[in-house]
Amino acid sequence: MLSKVNACAIKGIDGFLVSVEVDIAPGMPTLSVVGLPDTEVKESKERVIAALRNSGFDFPLKRITVNLSPAEQRKSGTQFDLPIAVGILAASQQLSPAASQTLANYLFAGELALDGALRPCAGVLPMLISTKNAGKTAVIPPQNVQEGNISSVPFITPHTLRELADFLEGKLSQEAVQINFIPPLAEPEEPVLDFCEVKGQPLAKRALEIAAAGGHNVLMIGLPGTGKSMLAKRFPGILPPLTQQEALEITKIYSICNLMGKSRLITKRPFRDPHHTISDAALIGGGTNPRPGEVSLAHNGVLFLDEFAEFSRSSLEVLREPLENGVVTISRAKESVTFPARFTLLAAMNPCPCGNLGHPHKACTCSPTQINRYRARISGPLLDRIDLTVNLNPVSYGDWNQKTEGEHSSAILARVLAARQRQAKRFAGSPTTANAFMTPAEIKQFCPLPAGADTVLEAAMRKLGLSARSLDKILKTARTIADLEQKDQIETRHIIEVLQYRPLDRKGVADI
Amino acid sequence: MNNTISAAERLARIQVNAFPYFRADWLERLIRIFGSAQEILRQDAKTLAQEAQMNPATAQRFLKEAFSIDPQQEWDRTSQLGGHIYLPEDEEYPQALKSIKEPPIVLYVLGKLPPAEQAAVGMVGTRKITPYGRRAADKLATELTQCGVTVISGLARGVDSACHAAAVRLKKPTVAVIGTGVGRCYPAENRPLAKAILEYGGAIVSELPVNSPPSAFHFPRRNRIIAALSHVVTVVEGEIKSGALITAKLALEMGKDVLAVPGPIDGPQSAGPNQLIKDGAGVVSCVQDIIDYIPEPLRFGISAHALKAPLIAKEEEAGLDDLSKQVLEIIGPGEASLDAVVEALQIDVPQAAGLLFELEIKGILACRNGLYSRNKF
Repeated sequence: MLSKVNACAIKGIDGFLVSVEVDIAPGMPTLSVVGLPDTEVKESKERVIAALRNSGFDFPLKRITVNLSPAEQRKSGTQFDLPIAVGILAASQQLSPAASQTLANYLFAGELALDGALRPCAGVLPMLISTKNAGKTAVIPPQNVQEGNISSVPFITPHTLRELADFLEGKLSQEAVQINFIPPLAEPEEPVLDFCEVKGQPLAKRALEIAAAGGHNVLMIGLPGTGKSMLAKRFPGILPPLTQQEALEITKIYSICNLMGKSRLITKRPFRDPHHTISDAALIGGGTNPRPGEVSLAHNGVLFLDEFAEFSRSSLEVLREPLENGVVTISRAKESVTFPARFTLLAAMNPCPCGNLGHPHKACTCSPTQINRYRARISGPLLDRIDLTVNLNPVSYGDWNQKTEGEHSSAILARVLAARQRQAKRFAGSPTTANAFMTPAEIKQFCPLPAGADTVLEAAMRKLGLSARSLDKILKTARTIADLEQKDQIETRHIIEVLQYRPLDRKGVADI
Repeated sequence: MNNTISAAERLARIQVNAFPYFRADWLERLIRIFGSAQEILRQDAKTLAQEAQMNPATAQRFLKEAFSIDPQQEWDRTSQLGGHIYLPEDEEYPQALKSIKEPPIVLYVLGKLPPAEQAAVGMVGTRKITPYGRRAADKLATELTQCGVTVISGLARGVDSACHAAAVRLKKPTVAVIGTGVGRCYPAENRPLAKAILEYGGAIVSELPVNSPPSAFHFPRRNRIIAALSHVVTVVEGEIKSGALITAKLALEMGKDVLAVPGPIDGPQSAGPNQLIKDGAGVVSCVQDIIDYIPEPLRFGISAHALKAPLIAKEEEAGLDDLSKQVLEIIGPGEASLDAVVEALQIDVPQAAGLLFELEIKGILACRNGLYSRNKF
């Protein structure tokens, strides 16, 4: 007997329909799975056998062949347990012919426990979204109900294999196998981090405001304990709220990585702060069956790299592609996968290896060569993608003990939102979403140099060693500052302010 | 050039100079024992060790190093760079070097050394220069150059570079005694400075083979040449254990006056000069203090009173508005960040950025690592 059941697999961040064909023929009792299954798919047969037996079904002692079609696409994930089990039930005629006939209307995804219970699996949301047009009713584990809700695909959530079989036979009503809502576990309330808690550092706060308004990347250079991480953690709080589209994109990525937890749609901008010992593959994504890395988990959010200069050189270099294009493409010999990765980079580093350079009281013990070598670890092309660089200095007791409270995040957010609105209007119909991502043509169109700015830039190039290649960055950032002030035209003073955020001095500059 | 020395002997001298672990006076002794450098090179290691009472292993290394360089190539490369290799027998070899305990047996010179009757002041100091040290070095070197004194230093980072750069800005000669071969530049970022020194009639001097790399023990040795070529040595900044203090010590041994620029008592980079002052070195508070120590015949006609415009930045600052003046006050003699200006004046970041930019473009302030300091006194 032959049966055919619909399932789904993930490629990149999208799902594709897989048809699970089960053939039962007389012969030596074996169960073989073909069609480029990964290890976890191959292992599924052991779970399926046990789940069938423990649910009160027979496991046919015959030659069983399971084919996953399209056979040339690699398939991974544990969601194939359920479709294979259902396929075997149908092929061995343990389901009635009537029930077997309805199978084509369903899409099955779920891992099986040995007792036949359904267990959650990764990637349910992208599977449902990608196969929405097929018009199938999804059968998913109860724990994935939130993803079912988000996808707006009709679905049922049986608890066990037996329950599913009873439903297919018509012994159970749809209501009995469907839950719509699991009360979320009381998640620990995350403390609200507000900029008003950061004392002093007006320049850094201003830079972060500009970064939030225009989508610019920031490098913070400062002594240990000057508040780099503290500022970075408060940065998501001044970013505009996620749009529905953005939230869906993020939730898909988190669904694939099985990081959904109990949450429904992810509504907070992600904040990822990987440690500097992270491998290239973990940062950018990878593996034989490519999975998203930290850059994709930070999609539409913030990637905070503390101790920027301590990351391996190759890790830093792979950041260039996502910073430039907003996506990462992972190429394998057989296929290449693209993950979205448009994030704001916040990088933080010490001014020198010992961390005391520029400290008012402590002496730096580094030699100039050591300092140069430390700074040279950040390559020029990477620095070119960072629009704002700020130096943070130790906060004095006076600043720390300040009576007046700093500005609240909500006030900063209001200005950021207004600036973003202007940008949305400006870039209507263009793929550009913020000033930081302007193309050279757009820079030319939207960032005309104000009168008098020529002399300023000329003087800056002559006296401050500003390079011509940084001019575009300056214009983009000046555009954001003008937007924050609700100005249609960039003014000279905006450009002068941008010159404060001049890039890291990588080479020791000779005195001439 | 002295013609009593044959070309072959010249090349042999260049060759025996290749062994970097030998002091120049030992080499001189060897040459005395064997009569000529050519004769030394004809010996095998065993005879060399016996005759000169050397360790045989050292003799072997010495010969190996000597034959590892091609003297003709040294000569050609130096000429190619526009330089000369002088021996103590040559007229061009500086008189001042001959009288020291271990005069270099060969001297590589790019450019032109100042004549013996030209007053020369050695200015040495730390590589980790502070804003104060930078201002002091810049002011003193500029004013000395304006008075017609040649500034001699070591082309290292920090104080050395600041001193050379001051002379170069005035398009006047200055002498750099370097701790690598003259065919190299260390640190590499000083290459434009080295080029400018030669362009404006200065000199780059070294006793090491033309392509010698930088090495820790080369630098103390070159300090004796700085001390020898200078009539007075001024220490700008430096820790207690620093090359600058080695130079000062060598200068004292040669009977030259050592002066020091006093600094804050809690600044590690001023510990060296402050210690020197305690030990009796002259105090430098203005350029005239240095000029007063230049030996009598050379000092003739040199006076700080001849300085046309004092370098003090008062005039530039006079035209500033009140807010800018307040900014300068906040920065004071040390350093301050933009944040400090914002806090002290209770203005916003864009306004502070504007004020600081203006002052920086006018050349009154300089910004390093996000900290602003004054460029001039």
